[in-house]
Amino acid sequence: MWGFYFNELIRSLPFFIKGLWMTVAVSGLSLIMGTIIGFIWGILRASRNKILRSLIGAWVDLIRGTPFLVQVFIVFFILPGIGIELEAFPAAVIALTNLAACFICEIVAGGILAVSSGQREAATASGLSAYQQLRHIILPQAMRTILPPLVGQYVLLVKDSSVVSAIGVVDVTRVGWLTVQRIPEGIMVFGLVGILYFIVCYPLINLSNILERRMTVGATRL
Amino acid sequence: MLEAFNFRVILEYMPLYLQCFLATLWLSALSLLGALLVGIIACTMRLSKSRVVSSISGVYIESIRSTPLLAQLYFFYFGLPSIGIMLPEWVTGVFALTLNSGAYYAEIVRSGIQAIPSGQIEAGIASGLNYFQRMRYIILPQALGMTIRPMLGQAIVLVKDSSLLSLISIMELTRAGQLLTSDRFMPAEGFLTTAAFYLIIYYMLKGFSSWSEKRLIFREAH
Amino acid sequence: MISFKNVNKWFGDLHVLNNIDLEVEKGEVVVVCGPSGSGKSTLIRCINRLEPIQEGELIVDGMKVHDKKTNMTQIRAEIGFVFQSFNLYPHMTALDNITIAPIKVRNIKKAEAEKLGKQILARVGLGDKSKAYPTQLSGGQQQRVAIARGLCMRPKMMLFDEPTSALDPEMIGEVLDVMVDLAKEGMTMIVVTHEMGFAREVAKRVVFMDEGQIIEVAPPKEFFTNPKSERSKIFLNAIL
Repeated sequence: MWGFYFNELIRSLPFFIKGLWMTVAVSGLSLIMGTIIGFIWGILRASRNKILRSLIGAWVDLIRGTPFLVQVFIVFFILPGIGIELEAFPAAVIALTNLAACFICEIVAGGILAVSSGQREAATASGLSAYQQLRHIILPQAMRTILPPLVGQYVLLVKDSSVVSAIGVVDVTRVGWLTVQRIPEGIMVFGLVGILYFIVCYPLINLSNILERRMTVGATRL
Repeated sequence: MLEAFNFRVILEYMPLYLQCFLATLWLSALSLLGALLVGIIACTMRLSKSRVVSSISGVYIESIRSTPLLAQLYFFYFGLPSIGIMLPEWVTGVFALTLNSGAYYAEIVRSGIQAIPSGQIEAGIASGLNYFQRMRYIILPQALGMTIRPMLGQAIVLVKDSSLLSLISIMELTRAGQLLTSDRFMPAEGFLTTAAFYLIIYYMLKGFSSWSEKRLIFREAH
Repeated sequence: MISFKNVNKWFGDLHVLNNIDLEVEKGEVVVVCGPSGSGKSTLIRCINRLEPIQEGELIVDGMKVHDKKTNMTQIRAEIGFVFQSFNLYPHMTALDNITIAPIKVRNIKKAEAEKLGKQILARVGLGDKSKAYPTQLSGGQQQRVAIARGLCMRPKMMLFDEPTSALDPEMIGEVLDVMVDLAKEGMTMIVVTHEMGFAREVAKRVVFMDEGQIIEVAPPKEFFTNPKSERSKIFLNAIL
């Protein structure tokens, strides 16, 4: 019996690969757009403008305080109510992009604020404009603090993308869910799903760890 | 759309929401306790000198961190019955949440332990304290105190993660929103109310985090 | 009481302890000095096996420290160790810091341990600080608590690894005073230090090390006025 199901699973492999491709597509699109928007929001969030800071901060807090699944449902089910008809894929990308942008915004803002104010003063004293300061002095240094958590955040977002399977996007998780209806061997099917996610996530996690180690030191003996 | 926001329906469903709110709290609390336990054990194992013990824990932690919670949830939900273990959904849900957050807690505790200066551990060794005594009196109290903020952060994540339990038919906050949506075609009322409840939990936990940090910092300096 | 016979230790390729032969008797105060990297800290850290040795025999209080099978708990209970960076536990009061080992290792009852602890704190001049946390104490006070922590186990010997090197100059005196008192009471002590005044006052012998070897061993008077080896002379010129 087990052998039969195993063969069936092998035959479904192309389906899983398609699902993996979908996961990569949803995550990839959201990561790219989320990074761009996240950087913009982050720079604004680290600015002196109190109104901008609070507005963006409030939005980020709302997104961080509610489950992503609920956000996906809101985008998919509620937006049509105000006239925006959406299919599953675009809704998923919008929700995930927003999620990405919010978390990246905090990471970027944190990195910028970590650059000592002395640097800003020196730059201002030498006559550099705010934009020039940002571009040549602050951001290059902030990137050191930003890079490790940024890559870490990418991993989280790939994993969060699994949630969009709930509105029917046929990603790896959904393929697993559909497959397990035909092949009732949950361990095999979702073991495969896990392995596929692992292939995508593990290298990213390692990259994040390497980047983080480059920025810190430590040793332990218990 | 806001004019059409039907508060009366929300009131009608309020008993259900309150019930589900409690369910979410209850499920989260149970999983949290389990996760803390699993986390401390996994962390101690990970830091053990025995390669075997350390690897077992390592495999556990890396597998969890490289795969999405939803895939893990489905893995147990579909997988356990296929090897003859029939459990009520909520047990499967709590189990998956515990295992998932446990891995993250293991890493949090590990970072706390590694932040303790090795000199103190040497002082403990030099006075004749054995491994367990050092862990119990010197290392863990400080590690746990130092990591209150990331621990509460993970608690917030866990509460949001509990929303996924709605996908395996468990009656909690997100499911309440789904019901209102499917019964009355009112996704806005349904999911925004759900979101509001989650935000209540979020702000309560955030408040607790600030309060406890203030108390701890006060204790350390004085 | 402590006996090094032909002890050798490597950190990777670095030969940090090179054919060490040394005997320390009960009640002796020995000062170990030398340039940095000479292996002096490593030497005393081997005595309670904070560092293991690879070759040779190291016998402490009749027990074979070099033997991996030897259980170190009993030996460590008889050795008080004072670190350069104090290493007090920040989440415990001074009293708790010094009583935790007596309670957990020697299985003394808490009330008894606290009574003893308060006596010892008074002895090092910190009788009123039993409820203080390390962060509330100055460096000199912290180091005295660290010494009290060692003494509270009623050890047979005390080892000091550069106890005053991390202290501001004005606090060195208060710590050395405690150590001098200990020496005069007959405690077996091995002290790694640059404080030559201390050596002159209470040390029975000075051990000079360089590059992992013991170069010269002599009573302080002889060592300071009439060093026999070239390297000793260079060292003494540099620090005196």
